[in-house]
Amino acid sequence: MRLFAKYNRVNLITTVIIMLFTGIIYYQAISWILNNQKDNDLNVEEQEIFNYVKLNQRLPQIFESNDQQITFTPAKPNSVKREYINTMYFKKWNDDNGRRRHKRDGEFEAGRGLISSVTVGDKYYKILVVESKVETEDLIRIIFFITISVILFLLLVLLVINRLILNRLWKPFYSIMNELRLFNITDNKEIPKLDTAIDEFKELNRAVLVMTAKAKYDYKDLKTFTENASHELLTPIAVINSKLDTLIQTENFNERQSKILNDLYGAVSRLNRLNQSLLLLVKIENRLLRDQETINFRELLEEMIAQFEEIFQDKNLKVTYTLTNKEIYATRYLAEILLSNLISNAIRHNYNGGEINISLTNESLVISNTGEDLSLPDEKIFTRFHKSSASEGSGLGLTISRQICENFNFSLNYQFQSPFHIFTIEFK
Amino acid sequence: MKILVIEDEEGLRESIEEYFSEAGNICETAGGYQSAMAKINLYRYDCVLLDITLPEGNGMNILKTLKENNHPDGVLIISAKNSLDDRLNGLNLGADDYLVKPFHLSELMARVSAIVRRKTFNGSNLLLFNELTIDLLAKEVKVHDMPVKLTRKEYALLLYFIANKGKVVSKNAIAEHLWGDGIDMANNFDFIYSHIKNIRKKLMEAGSNDYIQAAYGMGYKFTGQ
Repeated sequence: MRLFAKYNRVNLITTVIIMLFTGIIYYQAISWILNNQKDNDLNVEEQEIFNYVKLNQRLPQIFESNDQQITFTPAKPNSVKREYINTMYFKKWNDDNGRRRHKRDGEFEAGRGLISSVTVGDKYYKILVVESKVETEDLIRIIFFITISVILFLLLVLLVINRLILNRLWKPFYSIMNELRLFNITDNKEIPKLDTAIDEFKELNRAVLVMTAKAKYDYKDLKTFTENASHELLTPIAVINSKLDTLIQTENFNERQSKILNDLYGAVSRLNRLNQSLLLLVKIENRLLRDQETINFRELLEEMIAQFEEIFQDKNLKVTYTLTNKEIYATRYLAEILLSNLISNAIRHNYNGGEINISLTNESLVISNTGEDLSLPDEKIFTRFHKSSASEGSGLGLTISRQICENFNFSLNYQFQSPFHIFTIEFK
Repeated sequence: MKILVIEDEEGLRESIEEYFSEAGNICETAGGYQSAMAKINLYRYDCVLLDITLPEGNGMNILKTLKENNHPDGVLIISAKNSLDDRLNGLNLGADDYLVKPFHLSELMARVSAIVRRKTFNGSNLLLFNELTIDLLAKEVKVHDMPVKLTRKEYALLLYFIANKGKVVSKNAIAEHLWGDGIDMANNFDFIYSHIKNIRKKLMEAGSNDYIQAAYGMGYKFTGQ
């Protein structure tokens, strides 16, 4: 949930609850005030009746009125208690009222009544004065609706303003987030310093800058170490290699000795390749190999396939390829390594008599090969030193291949569609 | 051939010296910048093997001195740096070839032979070996004037063997020479065997002696005087 949504939700719930409470209190208060006023009116009316009775010693004449009804009923003396009541007020419709229908000449409305008593001569009367409350209720309703609309309007305005302001306020945050998401430790691009007046974001920006700079520094340090270590290894490997070459000139080896020497040769050449791969990886990541040119990828691919000819034959591999003309802008050296890696993988992980299919189109290069009938772990195979137990490779081939692809803005992906392991390079 | 090896790493220097001397070449060595400078100013060599990362000075300066004085010595740079810039820099300064450490001695020998051949034969492009005649420009091989059709790799392999005649050349070295070190078909060199078999068959059918011998399962040896 976004901070903004969370904030809005809390904000909204509290506002609605407070608004409901205020509404109820408000309604009650207005009702109470208006009821009081009605009661006062009723008092005045009562007083008028008392005055009239006092003056004329008889009950006043009852006349119809639109908002007031007075009834007198004889009652036992002192049986009536003076009180205000909420009651119904029967409102008669005029003859011209369109709603007037058969047997219905009026309707009940909410009313406020006063029960009182008066003694005229020796007769005791119960007085009931009822006034319609329709108008006060209308008033309350109008006041209530106006208030509610104002509150709702206010809420809406607040919401919009919040949204606008919060969005603007949080802009630096999202921009930092975006930079972090795009951050690549191998890149030379720095995270830009942010121009914001808000302290929290300034601090965040500062922290991010320091952190990324440190990460980059550490990474560079590590790379320098790898590079130096690999360089330092080259000379001893060269010495071992040359000593082996010298040793085999010394004639007369028995079978056991030559087997040992062969193994030594194999190990040294693996060590060398591993070392070269590490160096190459550092170089690609440092973007040290820049001299890009337009390469006829088809020709290069044909050359590579020809290079591997004997090895295909040796393993009885059936190689089919369909190539269209495709030019890429890349470093030739790296393009060669990329193709050589992918093709030698297709050979190495193949079985005797297997198949390799190579297809080059304008959009992609697809190299698929038969092999172990089991999907490889999709992303893991591109990590350093991941290799199957049977593999004789350095475990860096695919890492290097992917790095090269990234260098040229290509993508390299793996798929398994039984029985084929498929590597796809998509040119973008 | 008269060779000067400028290399600060003693083990490597000795191996190179031994390998070249045994093949009947005159091989001198220099272990540092000063002695190297002294030697190239006093003597002339068919080829100078130059390690450019010397502790006392930059090997590139030695190359510059050679070229500034118009010395005709061939120069092969040996470097631990496999960077394109260094390679181009060296070649632009007039080096004849550039070999990255680590390398096989047979590869070094083949490269040096090629340089010296280019220098001494001065435009002539025929390499003669007993009954074999190799036209380096047309890449044609003849036995007693009878043409032999070799594939590109077989031809390269034959040249490699002739440069390293009398030496046991390991299968690894052959594989790296023919397919480059990018190809790591480790411990599976059966395909080399079929190449060798083909060359022998073709040469012998054309009437040549059988020069190529297997050497204890480790490699092959091109024998011949």
